[in-house]
Amino acid sequence: MPGTVIRKTVAIGILFIALAILPHFLKYHHQDFLIFLVINVLVVVSYRLVTLTGEWSLIHAVMMGVGAYGSALLSKQAGLSFWISFPLAGGIAAIVAALLCFPLFRMTQFYFLIGSFAAGEAIRLSWIHFIKPFGGTSGISAIPSPELLDIDFLEPIPYFYLVLIIVTICLFLLFRIEKSRIGLTLHAVHWKASLAESIGVNTWNYRSLAFITGSFFVGLAGALKVHYIGTVTPKQFDIGFMVFILIWVIVGGYRTFYGAILGAVVLSVLDEMFREFNELRPAIYGAILIFSILYLPAGLESLPQRLKRVFGRKDRQMERT
Amino acid sequence: MELFLQSIVNGTIQSGFFALAAVGLVLIFGVMGVVNFAHGELVMVGAYTVWFLHAQHNTPFLITIVIAISLVTVIGMLMEKFLFRPMRDDPLGGLICSIGVLFILQVAATLVGGDGPSKQVPPPFEGTMVLFDFLRIPYQRLFSIAVSIAALGLLWHFLTHTKLGWALRAVSQDREAASLQGINSNRISMIAIAVGAAMAGLAGALMAPLTNINPHMGHNVIITAFIVTIVGGVGSLSGAVIASVLYALYHTFVTTYFNGTVATISGLLIMVLVLIIRPTGIMGHRVSE
Amino acid sequence: MATHTQHPARRKFLKKAAAGTVAATTASVFPNIVLSANKTLTVGMNIPMTGDYAPWGLPGLYGCEIIANNINKEGGVTIGGETYDIKVASYDHGYDTEKALQGFKKLVLEDDASMIMMLGGSTVAAVLPWATRKKVLTTTLLPSDITPDSNYLVATCESHPLYNVTGVEWLARNFPDVKSAAIVTNNDAEYGLQSAATYQAAFEVAGIDVIDTHLHGFDVTDFAPIVSSVLAKNPDVFCMATSFYVTPIMEQLYHQGYKGKIISCTLDYYDEIIAKTSKEFVNGTIFQFPDFDDPKLQEAGVNFPDPAGFDAAFRKDHPNDWSAVAWEYPAILLNWLDAAKAAGSADSESVAATLKANKQEFVFGGGDWWGSQLWGLDNALVGRWPIVVIEDGKARIQEYGDVAGWLSNNKDVLVKHMKDLGLRTV
Repeated sequence: MPGTVIRKTVAIGILFIALAILPHFLKYHHQDFLIFLVINVLVVVSYRLVTLTGEWSLIHAVMMGVGAYGSALLSKQAGLSFWISFPLAGGIAAIVAALLCFPLFRMTQFYFLIGSFAAGEAIRLSWIHFIKPFGGTSGISAIPSPELLDIDFLEPIPYFYLVLIIVTICLFLLFRIEKSRIGLTLHAVHWKASLAESIGVNTWNYRSLAFITGSFFVGLAGALKVHYIGTVTPKQFDIGFMVFILIWVIVGGYRTFYGAILGAVVLSVLDEMFREFNELRPAIYGAILIFSILYLPAGLESLPQRLKRVFGRKDRQMERT
Repeated sequence: MELFLQSIVNGTIQSGFFALAAVGLVLIFGVMGVVNFAHGELVMVGAYTVWFLHAQHNTPFLITIVIAISLVTVIGMLMEKFLFRPMRDDPLGGLICSIGVLFILQVAATLVGGDGPSKQVPPPFEGTMVLFDFLRIPYQRLFSIAVSIAALGLLWHFLTHTKLGWALRAVSQDREAASLQGINSNRISMIAIAVGAAMAGLAGALMAPLTNINPHMGHNVIITAFIVTIVGGVGSLSGAVIASVLYALYHTFVTTYFNGTVATISGLLIMVLVLIIRPTGIMGHRVSE
Repeated sequence: MATHTQHPARRKFLKKAAAGTVAATTASVFPNIVLSANKTLTVGMNIPMTGDYAPWGLPGLYGCEIIANNINKEGGVTIGGETYDIKVASYDHGYDTEKALQGFKKLVLEDDASMIMMLGGSTVAAVLPWATRKKVLTTTLLPSDITPDSNYLVATCESHPLYNVTGVEWLARNFPDVKSAAIVTNNDAEYGLQSAATYQAAFEVAGIDVIDTHLHGFDVTDFAPIVSSVLAKNPDVFCMATSFYVTPIMEQLYHQGYKGKIISCTLDYYDEIIAKTSKEFVNGTIFQFPDFDDPKLQEAGVNFPDPAGFDAAFRKDHPNDWSAVAWEYPAILLNWLDAAKAAGSADSESVAATLKANKQEFVFGGGDWWGSQLWGLDNALVGRWPIVVIEDGKARIQEYGDVAGWLSNNKDVLVKHMKDLGLRTV
């Protein structure tokens, strides 16, 4: 047992170091791509926490926007530094999520899916409608970048390290939450809701807890994103982006922690590789989506095992002949 | 007063499109348990067919409507056969598949029509009917609402007066009980999606001369269809039709007397409210999970 | 109406697919490459080429390719003693801020572009801090993107929406009995609201009452309620500050029996509007964007080489794609080339300095730097702007209006209306 722990720690350590030196080998604009990718990893992992209880929401992208707008307004209107507005962004997203729990968690399944979509769209349209203070469709621009010593966070590599460190900490926390008693209860709420209730678990509380926690982390991700781009607009968090989150998690595999990460990374990299195809790109994406859901229902994460099984069988056949 | 009456006319005409789009969504969800995210794109394909055949190649309008309906029906049936049927036990899988179809159909439309400006179809029926000197109804819209009502009437007749329609309703109420009665649910699903897609194709064909046609037009259609579906009651066709009329009138009046964005935001909030107070909608029953 | 013309983007794709090349390049491939010993001078276009905003990007790329091709065929352009062929490198950001930032860096750092042309709005805001820091000369069609410290962002052609004042001034002069106006516009801050504020100011100056300003979102599928609501107030002028939904709005005006004057910022694809309504109905509509075969554009004082020839070349290659931006990006490119020649270098700092120091010839003549009163920096070039009216189903320039003159007399009115609509001013 200690052996596997050591091996896992070493593997994660190597991965971290590899990531840390990766941007130095990339083209300039791919450094930006990498920053957004790492942020999106936090988005999908936090989304997975919400889905642990079996409820698929369509409001996660908007909650990211709540954090983004929160941090943008706090740093521009109230003049707060990034180091204060950033954690507050998570807090704001969590508070909004807590308020939304009352209507949303009266619903389950399909009703929750559509209800969360409606609530999210209403919030997003409000950003467009109320030009003061949200700036309408053009949103808020000239959002200051973080200040620390003499580091220039407008440059991609310093900001990448900032993002990498923050996201790694968040992933670690999310991982601990999932493995804790709370996390196990969340799983129980999903798979054995009535049983969980019969032993005194209040499923409403746990669903809300997952939703609020997930929203907190995605709010942080939103703030990370807009303090780099310098601009926040309603379009960044529309249903189109929400659909991508959903796709990443499902194609990657929502049953494990790393499945969702795998989905975000593989699909984003594929998408970037297919840039050449311009207007054909979404169709390639759609085909991958359909193909993987039909033939890899457990997600990309199940691919190694399936390959092993296929090749294992062949090996055995060869042995026999 | 004149504005009030004109708004009723405007709202009624709009309700026809809402109803055609929503009825298909309800039928597919009710019978198959799948949220068809690509439903707006089915409407879009219907509109593109009319643009391509009628506006670009001078095919008579009425013939293009029939072709649009047939094409969209075939797309729907292919979706059922190759995507929704294998995913029958996994509603989430069905949803994801429909998102994949959504992307593919949007790209197909871009390939046919290009990435340029929105497409326009000159109205086949020109002119405007003027009633009492102030109520104005373009003949094109009059035609659309008449066809919409006829199509919905036909659907109602099919569901209530034919054996197949009865089977369809039985499956949407309780799939297992229906299969115990010897109803082949795969066949019923195929019919449900064919009818639902045909309605979407018709909605698109009727909308084509009246709106901006572009690959992304399905987005607005699906939002409206969701609202109408929820308010009317998931799985209830009559609920969807009633909700279409109510929502179209509501949206028209708020847009006329206040503002369109306010109309949409408040519409979404009403939908959330309905979900909280009466999750089954105004006419719905709980769909067995 | 043109029939079944294969779409250019698709043609490009098919050609590529046929050649079996999936080589990673977003630089546009010229149809006929001129072999020459010249060095290459790259200009970048970071624009939407797919999605909703594609009509305000793609036609500009086609236009710039025509201009670049013409220049290269004639032996290139000489800057600082060196002769260059011009290459247009493009990146499709699909009006997405993330992609706009990536594309901007790719064009500058990897494709070596000397100047970047953009559409404007949130995509420009996203690249602005970096562009200003790295001193990359960037152009926008929206002067409202200018900020007090955006020294390298210029709006040298379209000064959306300042030119709208000329149409209103002309209307008031020619139709003195017009007393009231209603404005309809989409509710986005970049295009619609800026334009609405400008029209409000122009109407106020012209002594016309604005009795309604109706803002709508991008989710409108039916304009009947909006048009009914506005027409119930009986305006003498119906004004469309928007450019996204002109066709369906015009159609509703026609069906609801509107008889008054119509003024609009743009009237793109007006032949389609005529097809959906009638020639008689569209005749007399006032707007701001000429066709380039207009006789008044061939006169002296217009700084665009052979407008009619450009118009013909464009419509031959891309019969369905002409929009206002088809000539605007080329005009920006030409203006920049002139400045680079004068500076003797394509370097952003020297071109920017030359642009600001020397008297600039605006595409329609005139040319004053303006903008500090609204946005904190004089980086928008304003000059004469045409007033266009549909006559017998064809767009015809009536005269050129004086934007700079109007602004110097009435800028306080404009600032007031911008502030009232919640728009950013200094």
